[in-house]
Amino acid sequence: MSILIDQGTRVLVQGVTGSQGRRDTKHCLDYETRVVCGVTPGKGGEEVHGLPVYNSVAEATAVHAVDCSLLFVPPLATKDAVLESLAAGIKLVVALAEFVPRHDTAIIAAAAREARAIVVGCNTNGLISPGKCKVGGIGGDRPYDCYVPGRIGVVSRSGGMSAELARVLKFAGLGVTTSVSMGGDVIPGTPMVEYVKMFVADPETDGIVVFGEPGTRAEHDVAAFLRAGGCPKPLVALLAGEFQERYPKGVSFGHVAAMIESDTDTVSAKRRMLADSGALVAHSLGDIPRLMQGALKK
Amino acid sequence: MFKLTEDQAKATLKAAGLPVPEGFVCVSAAEAAAAAERLGGGAVVKALIPTGRRGKAGAVKLVATPAAAASAAASLIGTEALGHRIERVYVEARFPIARELYLSFLLEGMPPKVVLSTAGGVDIEETHRDRPGAIIQGDVDPLTGFTADQARTLWGRAGVTGPEIAGLAEVSAALWRAFRATDAVLMEINPLALDASGRPSVVGAMIAIDENGLPRHPEWAEQADGSLIAAWRGFNEREKRIAEVNRQFKGGAIRYTELDGDIGLFVGGGGAGLLQHDMILAEGGRPANHTDMNPGDGTGEKNKAVYLAVLDNPNTNCLLIGFNYLQLAQCEQKVKPLLAALKERGVDPRDFPIVLRVLGPGEEAARAMVKDVPGITYLAPDSSLDDGVRLICEINRAIVQRKQPAAR
Repeated sequence: MSILIDQGTRVLVQGVTGSQGRRDTKHCLDYETRVVCGVTPGKGGEEVHGLPVYNSVAEATAVHAVDCSLLFVPPLATKDAVLESLAAGIKLVVALAEFVPRHDTAIIAAAAREARAIVVGCNTNGLISPGKCKVGGIGGDRPYDCYVPGRIGVVSRSGGMSAELARVLKFAGLGVTTSVSMGGDVIPGTPMVEYVKMFVADPETDGIVVFGEPGTRAEHDVAAFLRAGGCPKPLVALLAGEFQERYPKGVSFGHVAAMIESDTDTVSAKRRMLADSGALVAHSLGDIPRLMQGALKK
Repeated sequence: MFKLTEDQAKATLKAAGLPVPEGFVCVSAAEAAAAAERLGGGAVVKALIPTGRRGKAGAVKLVATPAAAASAAASLIGTEALGHRIERVYVEARFPIARELYLSFLLEGMPPKVVLSTAGGVDIEETHRDRPGAIIQGDVDPLTGFTADQARTLWGRAGVTGPEIAGLAEVSAALWRAFRATDAVLMEINPLALDASGRPSVVGAMIAIDENGLPRHPEWAEQADGSLIAAWRGFNEREKRIAEVNRQFKGGAIRYTELDGDIGLFVGGGGAGLLQHDMILAEGGRPANHTDMNPGDGTGEKNKAVYLAVLDNPNTNCLLIGFNYLQLAQCEQKVKPLLAALKERGVDPRDFPIVLRVLGPGEEAARAMVKDVPGITYLAPDSSLDDGVRLICEINRAIVQRKQPAAR
């Protein structure tokens, strides 16, 4: 097993006719992801890589059974595209766009919650269950360079770091059940702790790795979940961006969410909180397999 | 995030139909006098600087006549307050305040928050410290927004009881709509004033805007550029050049921020950059700058601009080019502009060592480009970000040691 996606997942691609949509959809098909159709308003009737294109999600879902919608849609159009997929009853939506206005991301998060759906993103490169399915640009056209099947679940606020985490697990002979790039925005569609809960429930996931950054309460929620005894599996946390604490609050060096806004949102505060809650805190990539293997042996 | 100036904030709210005192931007004493004249003589003269607490700093003056407005403006323009040079003043009608309230909206996570209080006109932080009970907080559902119903409930809890609550609730809900429409992440109305008849007016307004919303508000695009760092200590020459390249090529941006160390960084993406920076500090090194690369259009030009900035920074001894394993971008995109920048500045990597940890698509071509360049170390395909950090710190330690005897 894995979480969210596997060989059976049927994927609809919104914005399939654009250049990024075409390229990344090809890479997903090459990985044997079951992409079933595409949607681009005004391009209904066209084909991309042999896939039928429809004018709307509703039109497409009238013909195809769909489990997941993948969005190659510009930032200002992303909110409406997500709402369109949720309205069609799709329970997993992957919204890649960076620079989606924060008010739109708040509406997306609230709508996802109301629809009891998962929205991965915004500002993500997607998710992958190695050997089974990949949704989004994650892994590019060479996913096996980094992502190999295994028993560790990964959730990362950084899409790029998802690859580094998977790679260090690969070289250590571990490997990944599912790696989710949850998105680097201040307000993600689905909070980090929800993915941790899914990994806890997944019988094939033995351990969990999370990558965190400054800003947001994502890691606080995970710590609270651990403290409440929700996670019997080892959880290794790597948090980056402590150096920002040397500079004035509000000065941003990376992801928009990685701004230091309050004293409890700093990386050092989060590390302390996670460690006190039973997480294993890594300080380098090399620490991750070491800590994980040590915990799994027990 | 960047702040609107008071005149911009008020013009925006006025356009949204909210009750805002009339006001004029003035750049001279004469203009201030004319503005006061148009307002009926009496006015408030305020320094137009993007910061709060101006009253305490003496940058807000109540005047009764146009002549007094002129001298108030003359005493402000050209001086400095709270670290900002005052170039303009805002001359505003005096609202007959009977009661001062406080209202703010905040979008820093889920759910959005509303904070309100009947203790307006003073710092909310002070109220929070001295009378925490006077502050009412609520959550806002982004799908419905802050409704007049919810506003009535919260203002009632805050202690507003009279018939004025109806108008106040309407104005509060309209302020939320403006908060949403302007793509604001913070809006603070302090005071939200009531006159003797209970009529509300937006007397104090501070609005901070989300940069991601800027495409919907092109009129503010210019002032948003790098406002965070600019507000911290102002851009230096090299940082200004990067901001210029960002303006030239849209669709993505690069961030380049100089710091006080000696190890040059060309790192990304966001997460991998943060991680490498932390690990350098843990190794005892100190970065000369930080970068965050999301170049979009004009990738080659933007990359080269960052390399030139790193080479031009006189404090930099060496350079780490470290990226997370590339999944779509090509390795050559990082290496080609490096070679161009080295050539343009005539820098020999033997005197300015460079470590590359750039893996993924296009890696072979990228390796071939620097194979015969002494001073450039391209880390092996199975190396990790940890390795790049360790090596650059080691190289820099040797350089620092070599420099020391000469300094003695």
